[in-house]
Amino acid sequence: MTTEELDNVLQKAGGATPEVESALLERIADSINESLRPVRPLPPPWVLTCGLALACAVVAVAAAARAGFYGVEKLGLWERALIFSALGILVWIAGKELVRQLIPGSRQNFSGIALLATISASLLALFALAFRDYRTDHFVSAGIACLLTGVLVAIPAALLSWLLLRRGFAVNSVAAGLMGGALAGLCGVTMLELHCANFEAPHVLVWHIAVVPMSALLGALAGWAVQVTSTHFARSSGRASGK
Amino acid sequence: MQASGNLDTLMARYQAGDAAAVKALVHAVGPRLYRFFMAQSASRRDADDLLQETWLRIHRVRHTYRPGEPVLPWFYAIARRVRIDHYRRASRTTARERPLEEASDVAAMPPRDETHADDLETLLAPLSDGQREIIRMLKVAGMSLEEVARATSCSVGSVKQKVHRAYRKLRDKMNAIGPNRRSSRGLS
Repeated sequence: MTTEELDNVLQKAGGATPEVESALLERIADSINESLRPVRPLPPPWVLTCGLALACAVVAVAAAARAGFYGVEKLGLWERALIFSALGILVWIAGKELVRQLIPGSRQNFSGIALLATISASLLALFALAFRDYRTDHFVSAGIACLLTGVLVAIPAALLSWLLLRRGFAVNSVAAGLMGGALAGLCGVTMLELHCANFEAPHVLVWHIAVVPMSALLGALAGWAVQVTSTHFARSSGRASGK
Repeated sequence: MQASGNLDTLMARYQAGDAAAVKALVHAVGPRLYRFFMAQSASRRDADDLLQETWLRIHRVRHTYRPGEPVLPWFYAIARRVRIDHYRRASRTTARERPLEEASDVAAMPPRDETHADDLETLLAPLSDGQREIIRMLKVAGMSLEEVARATSCSVGSVKQKVHRAYRKLRDKMNAIGPNRRSSRGLS
C-alpha cells in the first residue's frame, strides 16, 4: 500500500466525523459577547525575555552584594569573561524557552528535560574548563552550604519571573515549572560564581551545578501542584455550572 | 476552509472587543475544534462540553495570542490542554467511583456515540497516543506539519518522525489485512 493510498484511507475515515450544531456555536458566541471587552496582547517575546534576564541579574547581584563578591574578586579576567558571558547566554536561552512555554502555539526548540540537560552539560563543560584545582576539602559541608544558598537565591528569582509572566498561559504547567526552575537555578549559580571563593573543581562541578536540577525539580513540583489545583477547580466549577 | 490570514484578522478584532469578529471566529474555528474532539474518541456530549470549555478558556487567555503569529496552533494548543484536563478529571472520577461499582468491566469513559467515526479508531488502534494525536491533526483537522509542531510543543523534526513511524505501522497493518478485507470494512 502506498503513502497516497494510506492518505486517502485516513481522509475518508476522518471525514465521517459528525458536524457541530450551529445552535451550540451561537450559544458560545453569545456567552462570549456577554463579557467581551478589549484586551492588551502580551508584549513581544524578546521584551519578556529581556525582563527575565534583567530580573535574574538583579537578584543574583543583590544577593551577592549582601553576601560579598569574594568569588568574582578572586577570578581572573578571562575566567570572568568566560563564565559570566556563558551564564548570560544560558539565561537568555532558558528565558526565551520559558516565554515560549507561556504563549500557546509557540515554536519550541527544547522540551523541559532537553533544556535542563543542555544547561547542565554546558555548565559542566564551562566549569571543567575554568577550574583546575582537583582538591576536595570539606566537600560535603561546603557543598551543601553552596547548594542551599543557590536554591534560596533561586526562589526570589522564580517569584519575580512568575510576576513578569503572570499574564501568560502554560499549556503544560509541569514543563513551564521545570523551565522556570532551571532559569531561577541559573540565577542561583550566577550568584554563587559572584560570591563563592571555593575554586576546587569537584566542589563547583557538583554543588554549584546541582542548583540548576534542584531548582528545576522544585519548579516542576510547583507546576504539578498548579496543574492539580486548576484541574480540581475546573471540576468544581463544572459541577457548579451543572455539567 | 477559512484562510488562516482571515482568522488572524478576526482574532485581532476579537482582542479589540469586536462582537461581530467573535461570532465569525466561533463559526470558523468551532467546527474544526469540534472535529478535533470528536476524532479523539469523544462522545457527542463530551465533544459539546469540551468545545464550550475550550472557548471559555480561549476567552480567558485571548490576550496571549500575539498578532502576526499563526492562529490555528494557538487554538489547538489550548484545545489540547482542555482535552488533557478533561480526561485527567474523568480518569480520577472513575478511579474514585470504581470500588462502588459491582461490575468489574465498567467503562472508563462516558459511553461513545455509536455514529462516531469507528473506522478511523479501528485504523489508528495500533498507534501510540502521541502518534494518533498527530495523525488526527494532520489528516482530520488538515493542519500543516509546522502547525502541528506548534500545537503539540514539539519540533517539526519530531512530528515528521512520529508521522513516519505511524505510517510504517499503518502500512504494515493494512498490508496484513489484505485488499479484500479492507474493502469489506470500508477502508479502501
